Amino acid sequence: MNIHEYQAKKILAQYGILIPEGKIAYTPLEAKNAAAEISARGPWMLKAQIQSGAREKGHFLEKRAGKDGGIRLIYRKRDILNQASQMLGATLVTTQTGPKGRVVSRIYVEAYKNVWTKFYIGLVIKRISATLTLLIAPFVSGSQNIVERAEQNPDAVLKIPVDLKKGVHKSQIRSACAFLGLSENYVTGLKKLVTGMLKAFVQTDASMIEINPAGVNRRGQIFALDAKMSFDDNAAFRHPELLKLQDDYEEEDRALKAKKFGFKYNDFDNGNVGCIVNGDGITLAAMDMLKSNGVDMVCALNVKGGVDKDKIAAGIKIIMTNPRVEGILINILGGFLRCNLIAEGIVAAASEVGVNVPLVVRFEGTNKDEAMEILQNSKLPIIIAKTMEESVDMLTSAMKEAM
Amino acid sequence: MSILADKNSKILVQGITGTQASFHVKRSLDYGTNIVAGVTPGKGGTTHLGIPVFNTVKEAVKATGANASVIFVPAKSFKSAVLEAVDAQLDLCVAITDSVPTLDMLEIRRALLASKTVLIGPNTPGLITPDEARLGIFPENIHQKGRIGIVSRSSTLTYEAVLETNRANLGQSTVIGLGDDMVIGTNFPLILDKFMHDDKTDAIVLIGQMGGAFEEEAAEFYKKLSSPKPVVTFVAGSAGVMAQKMGYAGDIISGGKKSVQNKKEILQNAGMIVVDEINQIHDVLLTLFPNKDA
Repeated sequence: MNIHEYQAKKILAQYGILIPEGKIAYTPLEAKNAAAEISARGPWMLKAQIQSGAREKGHFLEKRAGKDGGIRLIYRKRDILNQASQMLGATLVTTQTGPKGRVVSRIYVEAYKNVWTKFYIGLVIKRISATLTLLIAPFVSGSQNIVERAEQNPDAVLKIPVDLKKGVHKSQIRSACAFLGLSENYVTGLKKLVTGMLKAFVQTDASMIEINPAGVNRRGQIFALDAKMSFDDNAAFRHPELLKLQDDYEEEDRALKAKKFGFKYNDFDNGNVGCIVNGDGITLAAMDMLKSNGVDMVCALNVKGGVDKDKIAAGIKIIMTNPRVEGILINILGGFLRCNLIAEGIVAAASEVGVNVPLVVRFEGTNKDEAMEILQNSKLPIIIAKTMEESVDMLTSAMKEAM
Repeated sequence: MSILADKNSKILVQGITGTQASFHVKRSLDYGTNIVAGVTPGKGGTTHLGIPVFNTVKEAVKATGANASVIFVPAKSFKSAVLEAVDAQLDLCVAITDSVPTLDMLEIRRALLASKTVLIGPNTPGLITPDEARLGIFPENIHQKGRIGIVSRSSTLTYEAVLETNRANLGQSTVIGLGDDMVIGTNFPLILDKFMHDDKTDAIVLIGQMGGAFEEEAAEFYKKLSSPKPVVTFVAGSAGVMAQKMGYAGDIISGGKKSVQNKKEILQNAGMIVVDEINQIHDVLLTLFPNKDA
């Protein structure tokens, strides 16, 4: 689960991390009042709250929002109202949102912080060693984000292993300061920042914290000028307080619906094949195989772990009623999941919404024979395949015929 | 002797009385798996599916000599279940439990460092040595005893790999799903090492997928072996569009380039045989072992 910048900052502040003063605003008037409360003379930052990086370099789809991006530096108090009304309700497109962009429903109004240097700092999980890693890199203005930089030149990012219990040693902080070209005077400030990040990470079951950039002032203080936090969905049961922060507007309707039934749904930009599978690996493999047959997957529903046939039917309907879907591939390798439940779900969903596009089903594993019988008895126009490649071949040729 | 578990393993089941556990334990018993005990706190002294149930792992070990466990407990109780198994010095835990918090896994991995227990999973279909032992939820009807070891990071593709070895008429020595999660108990090298030393395994099928540096770690390990057994590899996720949806940005920032193409090159350079599609595995196996062609 991801949250907005202002929410992340609020959490980080609880762990002793310094943040510029700020307030959230849902209307232009709220923004104007917030600005006055925060600072008498400014300048102020108006920051569109959508869950995406690169907001500053983004652009709005609507003309009325002006040519500037989603993060604006405002010097005159009288401009706040106008600038806020330009951004609120408009659609911000960034390199991370896709061409459709996201509607800005709220703006974070923040006091502008004068800093003399900035840097990137992140805390992530290193999966193979099951440890936390602190990532530090000099700030670079321009369009390149940290992921691209790390990909091109892994050495541009300093990586410090962090002990889950003991935290970070002062000598590690010293070398981080040296890496960033910061003097001894900043060791205390950086230590405070890192300690706060680690505490916040552990206490909230985060999966990633990024402060990009952190800003350093002459007094040795380090501020989180931007912040991004993601949380481990598996630990949500420990954090009812975080669930309230979830912004449903950030998720696609179909994904939200699938989540309600306990499944994962993904939409892709291109393609016309809808897939129902039970695992990420099989999604990937099916996608690769479809691609080599010249078609693309447009959406995938992962029903892994499903045990309730009504929920399975509801999930399958999400794919069947997606207007972009021109063919459906169901590939289930039952282990924990029992094929007969999926078959019952398919029949229930199909009887309700109809089979309007080619539908190929392949079952293997737990209760496969019962599942086949259910499909055959249903008399629905379902194509049955024996292997994964056969299912992909059968679907692509059925789709060609249907055209 | 196959690896990690066989007909001589004495297996206990943690969380044996749950619905899903009961369904699969019964099937494992029918398969001939040597399940000797169950553990469910508060239900000690009862029997379930004809198996004696104990309150703690230690009690179960003392009474039955169990040396391995299958874990079906809910995610909330997972950490304490594993730590209990570690404390009882079990050789092996196979964890079917899904949705385990990642931070719990970090703590568990820390505890495993100082113990002899091997944790497979969580969120795995388990481990199966055909005709001997089924630890988990594998659809047993698709397995055939044979000489190919399978290790996979993707649950469902494990089944696909099994079917591929069947198509080549070679069967499986032991099949292991490592689990799909962010952090798992055991990575590729330990399993590869065991397969290399197993006289019942002639070759290995390794299934990887996008994300993490798991395949890179496997390549690094394989490269250092002198006269290793052949490893046939498939890495899911070439089409790439899932990367943004399923990927963990921390992977790239902390470890550099991690495209599937990149993973495949690294595996190939380490001497493994890399296939582009999963259904090519049986062809490669047939080239490696032509005499066994049916």
